[in-house]
Amino acid sequence: MEADDLSLVSQAQGGDAAAFRALVVRYQRKVYAVALGVVKDPDLAWDVAQEAFVRVHQHLREFEGKSSFSTWLFRIATHLAIDSVRRERRSQKDELDDVAEGDLAEGGEGILATALGNDPRENVLRRELAGKIQDALASLPEKHRTILVLREVEGLSYEELAERLELHKGTVMSRLFHARKKMQAALRRYAGLRAADEGKEESEP
Amino acid sequence: MTRDCIRFAPMIGAREGELSPSDAKALAAHLAGCETCRAMAADAAAIDGMVAEALLRKANTRDFSTFADEVMARVDRAERPGLLAWLRRHRAAAAAGLVPVLAALAVIVYVRLDGGPGPVAMLELSSEGEATTVLQTADGPVVLLQEDGGT
Repeated sequence: MEADDLSLVSQAQGGDAAAFRALVVRYQRKVYAVALGVVKDPDLAWDVAQEAFVRVHQHLREFEGKSSFSTWLFRIATHLAIDSVRRERRSQKDELDDVAEGDLAEGGEGILATALGNDPRENVLRRELAGKIQDALASLPEKHRTILVLREVEGLSYEELAERLELHKGTVMSRLFHARKKMQAALRRYAGLRAADEGKEESEP
Repeated sequence: MTRDCIRFAPMIGAREGELSPSDAKALAAHLAGCETCRAMAADAAAIDGMVAEALLRKANTRDFSTFADEVMARVDRAERPGLLAWLRRHRAAAAAGLVPVLAALAVIVYVRLDGGPGPVAMLELSSEGEATTVLQTADGPVVLLQEDGGT
């Protein structure tokens, strides 16, 4: 039977390197996935993920178990990932989080849902779009990438996002809205092209 | 497109329990009457979970066989700090170690300034411990004794 996180943490706090290694193996892929979503570059994500575990080890004795180990680990990983792209964020024009009428009038809403059908999990286009998700995500500004990754990969609630990103809940909601709109627009472009190609093939004799 | 859309659009995609009951009820009523927001909600539902799916798939295609070993090596390196880190942590000891060196340098400068026009002997410095310096001059060795690291 697998040891739970807290017992591994307890052993690691006592100097058991194998216990800490087991925690690394348990969470390495998910930490890497979070880092990759934020920093975009696979090698940088690898480095950020490793550094997150090093920092966790350095502060292991301070961990009191008030939150879960994974929450603590992902918090550190997120901060490191955000720090590593801070330069990029500084160089970008900071976009407002408010929702304005123009944000709602882009058009094209519903195309994705139509293209993906009633049972999206069984849809071929969905699988193909999944391959484009990373490109679409990479095209977003850092703050939109980060909030989408935290929401979707870590599964944080509005409240948890507000606490993690030090934002008001309302700002979290509107930032998520903008992030999703941009992601959907990028995927719609791909879905639209696919639909046109398929139509052309179908009309050919 | 109404002002209500601006209010309700950010609520689309909220999970159960994340909105207050009154907001959830108002959102449902708005969606029932707003085609644009319904389409937005349908898009959000259609791609729900795809970001996590895509990133985890990417992570699963990468070879992680060396990851944990690399982490453990970095942990080891972090626990064995270099000279700079040691100096930062032991500023007082580092400063005390510098005292005899600085004292010796001060004597050299003094001897050179005070030597006048005549030839000044070659000086050879050696140190015994942290607080003793032997100064070789043309007139013979001069031993500089210090107590408690003072000059």
